[in-house]
Amino acid sequence: MQMRRDHVAGAVMLLAGALVLAASTDLPFGTLASPGAGLLPTVVIVVMMAFAVLLMLGAGASPRLGAIDWADAGHALRVLGVTAAAVALYIPLGFVASISLLLFVVTFVVERKPLLSALAFSGGATLLAYLVFGTLLNAPLPRGVWH
Amino acid sequence: MEATLDSLALGFSVAFRPDVLFYAFLGCLVGTLVGVLPGIGPLAGISILLPVTFGLDATKAIVMLAGIYYGSQYGGSTTSILMRIPGEASSVMTCVDGYAMAKRGRAGAALTIAAVGSFFAGTMGVVLLTVVAPPIAKFALAFGPPEYTALLVLGLLFLAYMSSTGLPRTLLMAAVGLLLGCIGIDVMTGHFRYSFDIKELGDGIGIVPVAVGLFGLGEILSTPSKTVTEKVVPPRLAELLPNRTEWRQSAMPIARGSVLGFLVGIVPGSAHIIASFLSYAVEKRISKTPEEFGKGAVAGVAGPESANNSASTGAFVPMLALGLPTGPVTAVLMAALLIHGVPPGPMLVNEHPQVFWGFIASMYVGNLMLLALNLPLVGVFVTVLRIPYAYLYPLIIMFCIIGVYEVNHSIVDVWIMLIMGVVGYLLRKFDFDPAPLVLGLVIAPIFELSLRQSLIMSNGNWLIFVERPIAQALLVICVLLLGLSALSLLLKRRDWRAKLAQAEAGDVTARD
Repeated sequence: MQMRRDHVAGAVMLLAGALVLAASTDLPFGTLASPGAGLLPTVVIVVMMAFAVLLMLGAGASPRLGAIDWADAGHALRVLGVTAAAVALYIPLGFVASISLLLFVVTFVVERKPLLSALAFSGGATLLAYLVFGTLLNAPLPRGVWH
Repeated sequence: MEATLDSLALGFSVAFRPDVLFYAFLGCLVGTLVGVLPGIGPLAGISILLPVTFGLDATKAIVMLAGIYYGSQYGGSTTSILMRIPGEASSVMTCVDGYAMAKRGRAGAALTIAAVGSFFAGTMGVVLLTVVAPPIAKFALAFGPPEYTALLVLGLLFLAYMSSTGLPRTLLMAAVGLLLGCIGIDVMTGHFRYSFDIKELGDGIGIVPVAVGLFGLGEILSTPSKTVTEKVVPPRLAELLPNRTEWRQSAMPIARGSVLGFLVGIVPGSAHIIASFLSYAVEKRISKTPEEFGKGAVAGVAGPESANNSASTGAFVPMLALGLPTGPVTAVLMAALLIHGVPPGPMLVNEHPQVFWGFIASMYVGNLMLLALNLPLVGVFVTVLRIPYAYLYPLIIMFCIIGVYEVNHSIVDVWIMLIMGVVGYLLRKFDFDPAPLVLGLVIAPIFELSLRQSLIMSNGNWLIFVERPIAQALLVICVLLLGLSALSLLLKRRDWRAKLAQAEAGDVTARD
């Protein structure tokens, strides 16, 4: 049997359902007359797993697993990595440093824009955002080590 | 009728306040930009800007956010006509004949017809909303927990039935959303559910990090910068006026699209997208020259553009009158009202008339603003399109981080957004529509409360859902929808939804 896209999608959903069900054992189901905190999650997990099975049963009509185009995955991973680093540094370094670093690394390293353009863009955009959100809208942006 | 006019006068007294006018204008402007820029839909735009409204009162907040929604329907036509790139999913059909008109040197006329059609349809939609919403809200006062449970189930099933990705996939996504909505303290018993000792999860997962992650970051991850082009030539101001024949050819399609769009908009689902496809099909079917469609038919621009605007207004009927979000955008707008302490639903008209009527009146004004914005300023919006995507998407990521963090000043929320971004990317790869997930998340608390209240009311008897006439009628429609879906699955019929999926995936020629 050839592995199809919906075989994998259904199996992942089935597994996720089983894991959440296992994590739900401490939730009281209650009775129908007095439903507990576990009633809706249990019903929803069962429905979710049923649809996952349905998806797997009809998977024959879905494209082959290898037909999924992952050409953009490298770019997505790079953007995600830089964004995750910026989020990790958001509180310790503060808004200005973490966001300007994020913008600079994405434009200069990921998008390979000229150094000066990347520097001007990251500095200018961060300053503008700080003025709009931090000053004009008075939003408390994290200040990190500069606090 | 007199009472409606009195209430509308109250609404206009609110809508004409300078501060409300300013936020309506801001919403329309941002909405047009959101519609113009490929890669950011109205949902991402509204989600990202939701935290900005926290300092505003409920009226200004909803006026601005709704302006983004219907403004994006206007803006979406610009890229469709000038670049053959739908700035917004509902503008896919406009690409076909709008771009063909542009190639014939009639880009200005196509833009004007799209803007005038959108204005007429938007205004007509608001008139219908003014007339229809209050009586529905009055009727919904008879609803108790069983009726609401049945209504929410019907809403989900309708969404699944109308979806282009198929019933099992849509309901699977809705179930994931409902499950995410269960995270946090159970309001009826005080039990912590799936919070894994993370105190920030005690209040549950917010709609903003989920929506911004799935639709904002997820979209960016799926769009490599090299695939976005910036070549575009804006029409000159003198070329904007359509000729007499073009006006004549567009009049009836605009009228038909307005009515059709509003009716489709009331039904749960991606109404504005479906409405534009349906309008295109109708116009082609009744046209005396169907062979012109695809080669620059005026009706192919006028009909779909009117329909998607009218549908976005129609979608406000169930949201305002019943408190029922029919799609992810209305779900986020509903969340915005809830955050501001204004629960949408049948009581809204009586308890918060200033918000309800002020919002409706602001849409009349907003549609006028959009007409004024979209025609003379088309050159400005086209200039925005020239910003290279490599500089644009890092800015969107920045707005995503600021927007999500500012909701609760919680870095956990930003991490949730990041995770949801990855989830959104993977869901697109496996052909899942993330919209039902957001809808499930929003309705989870209402659904759980009404389900459990119904069971307590009936002492655990499930028959309460079929013994009450309104709930019974709603559940009968649910069964019919399930039957229809099963039938089409058994017959393996390639119906309009399959064609919609194909066209949404990028093949805009698959339209008849």
